[in-house]
Amino acid sequence: MTARVARVFSEVLGVSAEQITDDTSPDNTPQWDSMAAMNLVVAIEDEFDVTLSTAEIISMRNVAIVKKVLTAKGVADA
Amino acid sequence: MSDAMPAASGGEAAAKSAAIEAKKRWRAHLASADPKPALRVGLAASFTADTLVPFVGAALLAENTAAAFTVAPFNQLFQTCLDPEASFHGAVDVAVVLWRLEDLMLDEITGFLAGELDALNRASGKLASFAAAIRQLRAGFKGMVIAGVPPYPTGVAGNLLSLDNAAGLGAFHRKLAAEFVDDVGRIEGVTLVDLDAMQRQIGVATAFDARKWYLYRQPYSDAFLYTAGRQLGRIVAASRRAAKKCVVLDADNTLWGGIVGEDGIDGIQIGDEFPGSAYRDFQKLLLSWRAQGVLLAVASKNNEADALEVFDKHSDMVLKREHLSAWQINWLPKAENIPLIAKALNIGTDSLVFIDDNPMEIAYMRDARAEVTSVLVPSEPADIVATMQALTLFDQLEVTDEDRKRADMMRAERDRETVAAQISHADFLNALDLKIDLFRAQPEDLGRITQLVNKTNQFNLTTIRRTLDEVRALANSDDWRLYGMRVTDKFGEYGLTGVVIVEISPDRRRWTIDSLMMSCRVLGRGVEPTLIGGLAGDARDQGAVEFRASYIPTAKNAICASFLPDQNFTSIGGQEWHLDLADAPAIPAHVTRLGGAAPATTQALQPQLADVAE
Repeated sequence: MTARVARVFSEVLGVSAEQITDDTSPDNTPQWDSMAAMNLVVAIEDEFDVTLSTAEIISMRNVAIVKKVLTAKGVADA
Repeated sequence: MSDAMPAASGGEAAAKSAAIEAKKRWRAHLASADPKPALRVGLAASFTADTLVPFVGAALLAENTAAAFTVAPFNQLFQTCLDPEASFHGAVDVAVVLWRLEDLMLDEITGFLAGELDALNRASGKLASFAAAIRQLRAGFKGMVIAGVPPYPTGVAGNLLSLDNAAGLGAFHRKLAAEFVDDVGRIEGVTLVDLDAMQRQIGVATAFDARKWYLYRQPYSDAFLYTAGRQLGRIVAASRRAAKKCVVLDADNTLWGGIVGEDGIDGIQIGDEFPGSAYRDFQKLLLSWRAQGVLLAVASKNNEADALEVFDKHSDMVLKREHLSAWQINWLPKAENIPLIAKALNIGTDSLVFIDDNPMEIAYMRDARAEVTSVLVPSEPADIVATMQALTLFDQLEVTDEDRKRADMMRAERDRETVAAQISHADFLNALDLKIDLFRAQPEDLGRITQLVNKTNQFNLTTIRRTLDEVRALANSDDWRLYGMRVTDKFGEYGLTGVVIVEISPDRRRWTIDSLMMSCRVLGRGVEPTLIGGLAGDARDQGAVEFRASYIPTAKNAICASFLPDQNFTSIGGQEWHLDLADAPAIPAHVTRLGGAAPATTQALQPQLADVAE
């Protein structure tokens, strides 16, 4: 899952997959603006075939939390 | 290549993966983006419209157009209409204005649902102001203007499924959407994109994403954005390229089910029972294309008599022999028959679309005649109409009177040729009673003129293409003359079949023919000297002494290579030609020029200035 998450973030934010770490967040990644946030939600839902609640979306303030949310939703290989 | 789109019956999963694919294509394009886009598009909406960009972008890429987008700040529709360059941070070629009732008139909706008597009137007043702003945008902006029809309101207190909705939110939406279409749809040069119909097609619930609305002020699901983006791309692309002119149809298992040579005329499937009903509906679609000016032809491997008997005698056939402009029904390879059809219709093979149910025929045609667009009929008869409806090949924004009459005019042409074969050429010309109206273009002619400017490949001296807005600008300039030509003879009207665009030198003494084009259907009856002779008369009346013109050869316009010398022009080197107006050809005796000289000024061409209702 880590590689898939990194790929989704890399594609949507337009940065290389190596630059995506657990700490990647809007605070250290200028590309992660509100528009990118919305695109990330759609891309994550598409990639992992899940539906995110508004509470989950609001909570996802860095990549580590995204993985945690996905694990909680039963996405394998956290 | 704009191949057939997947059939609409592919279901929700197919739509979802198509949306994902579109976004990927757009991301890949951005990563490798050409710094100079072919087209700049400005989007202004009453909601966050950034998410629409990848879908419009991908749809345009599918039509071979790389576009760059600017999205105006959210909910600045009025400001954008009044000053598009400021909102779009510079000039754009296309301005798209999208709005939702619930963004512009939420108070009126709430009031209406609460029973306030004047709520609808207040909403109509707001709509009129908005329409006036769009009129203002049209008047002050050179590019293409597209306005969205508002979809059914979502995320407001009114409920689509409430028992009194027919008199509630539904009534509000129907009335305002209709008023908008009625008002803005009448503005010349504004194209509507029917977001309401698209929302209906995928469903109001599927189109709305409540989470995105609350979190980001962006109300729409990707499924809706994909559908809307594709339609916007279609509209923009249709304004920029020539539509196909003729569809060449296979017969067996394309126009009807079964094989007439084996099953017999009574054994084929066409009519009210499935699968015959699917073929019948396809034939109805073909007739609607014909009514827009698309010519219909048949290329079938059959005995000619067997196939034609179906058109003539089968009572369930919607398509009759009289609807066909040409046919080649024989046992030759279809790739050999296609050029014969193109020649009979005086069009290029690249303006043909070939439709056949046999994958081998399609593959063979793509190989032998790559310039022909080949479309496979789906093997599921129920999918035929949806697949064909999704073709963008015949899209055109302005269907003119000439388009509507074209297929019928081609029939008159066959009658003319029959007469020509019977009598001598000189007698024929006199008997023709040829009347030519050479006139300064009027506002209502500009749509047809733009079409000729962009579609005429063969008899076209310079092949300079222009948008409707560019043509309109020339029509309104005192330094240019925009002429149209209408030809009539005893067999009927050819319609507006010629265009000349002239630039006048600052000292008014020289007229330079920037563009000159004619439909090949009117050539060779004295039309050419009438055109130049008539134009020369007008030029002399307005103080000119000289014509300049150029012939720019292309792969297709060899037919007009001798036009300039034939009309007494002399070469002055390179592609440039000169005509002393004293040497201009006379209008032939058998031709009547209708209307006389065209005046130097035309008041009617002044653009209508919109008055803003505030």
